[in-house]
Amino acid sequence: MNCEDVRKWFPLILYGELTFDQEELCEVHLDECDACRQEMAREKALHRALTEVEWTPSAAMLAQARQQLRRNIANAEPAKRRWWDRLPALLTIRFHPVPAVWQTAGALAMLALGFFGARIAPLELGSRTTGASLAEPAVSRVRYVEPMANQRVQIVLDETRQRVLSGDLADQTIQKLLLTAAKDPSDPGLRVESVNLLKGRSDSAEVRSALLFAVQHDTNSGVRLKALDGLKSFSADPETRKVLTQVLLTDSNPGVRTQVIDLLVQQKNENMVGVLQELMHTENNGYVRMRCERALHEMNASLETF
Amino acid sequence: MAHPAVRMDETVLIRSAQQGDERAFEELVRLYDQNVLRLALNLLRSPEDANDIYQETFLRVFKNLQNFRFDCSFSTWLYRIATNLCLDALRKRRVRKEEDMVVETKDGVLDRMDTIEESRAEGNPQRHLLSGQLRQRIGKVLEDLTPRERTVFELRHYEGLRLRAIGEVLGTSEEAAKNCLFRATQKMRAALGDFT
Repeated sequence: MNCEDVRKWFPLILYGELTFDQEELCEVHLDECDACRQEMAREKALHRALTEVEWTPSAAMLAQARQQLRRNIANAEPAKRRWWDRLPALLTIRFHPVPAVWQTAGALAMLALGFFGARIAPLELGSRTTGASLAEPAVSRVRYVEPMANQRVQIVLDETRQRVLSGDLADQTIQKLLLTAAKDPSDPGLRVESVNLLKGRSDSAEVRSALLFAVQHDTNSGVRLKALDGLKSFSADPETRKVLTQVLLTDSNPGVRTQVIDLLVQQKNENMVGVLQELMHTENNGYVRMRCERALHEMNASLETF
Repeated sequence: MAHPAVRMDETVLIRSAQQGDERAFEELVRLYDQNVLRLALNLLRSPEDANDIYQETFLRVFKNLQNFRFDCSFSTWLYRIATNLCLDALRKRRVRKEEDMVVETKDGVLDRMDTIEESRAEGNPQRHLLSGQLRQRIGKVLEDLTPRERTVFELRHYEGLRLRAIGEVLGTSEEAAKNCLFRATQKMRAALGDFT
């Protein structure tokens, strides 16, 4: 084997992907060739350097991902089995004479109840929201067109109706809609506005929990900052502090980290010192470090643990 | 990848999860989710994007587990879903050139890699042995690999998958995966040769 052939195998040796015979040939050549040994040493150094830039997700990142996945799974449904997987079941005859009659009767009764009930009940039943109205269809898509006689045409449309609601921020319906909008993954602007409106209602446990969720998980730093604003009056609440501590150590935005420091130092305690000292170990942003140093100084604590 | 001793339990877990056992599904996720998150983080170098890949991968697993027929190992199936999503994301990035590797902070412009470090609660002390400049260069070289070269390299170097398994994951031959890894290491050696 010549040097060129052997060197082509270097990466594969390091990954253990050569056959026994190939590796043996390589070893024999390396024993005899100084230049290739040096080249191999360089290859190993590169291999080590590449290993050192590996990123391992932190425990906090993994925990957050698992938590979010649990929520996503709760809202998802498994795909139905493919038709050929269900074929044996489709071909199996099941015989339920009496229950089937009752089931059909029950279904018809429910249908009739829904049909007549909808005509009897007033539109605003069950809602204290005022000014609700049905607007003209806002979005429509032509699903199907069919020519008819006498130059006429039949068009089937899919329509999405917009409904305008207005009401007090204290109204449960309004709050529920805002809470949903605050988690709309497709529109950061809508999330910012919704969180901004909700932050004044953080006395409600549901709203506070949504703000905490936004601080931890929203991908948009503007939304996270608004949510932090809403949590200002809860800087003493243990659950809030726990989340904020986590955010301080993991959030990628220096502005968010700075605001979290401001919130957390409103309550000075021993735990806070440890968290700030930990941050001093990992923090690269000069401004955040300065705020952190100042807070530690005010608490008469050393800057770092050794 | 799962050890043979683990595989038996894994088969039981998969069957239970297919029957709708949520605990079994969660156990199954926990067997592999760290690997999936690490793979996505290393490939995309963005915690947000890595989390998106993680969520989408396991949602797809959840939705399609009924259709998993043990034609290949579960880990191969899972890595196939995750790497396809990562490859799509990398390709989109290359086409749109939208994912700048720098971000603006109050300290000025920083390399995105450094902002990832900020997001880590626990650092790897070994990493500090490397100068920031070299880390940036390695990051740049990895970015310059094609999505396939990058994926093969990550799966071999960081995930420790054998080339044969990588071939299965990417739907190609072991030989093609080997050639891909070879090209990737050649490019890296050419770009970083002066360092070593």
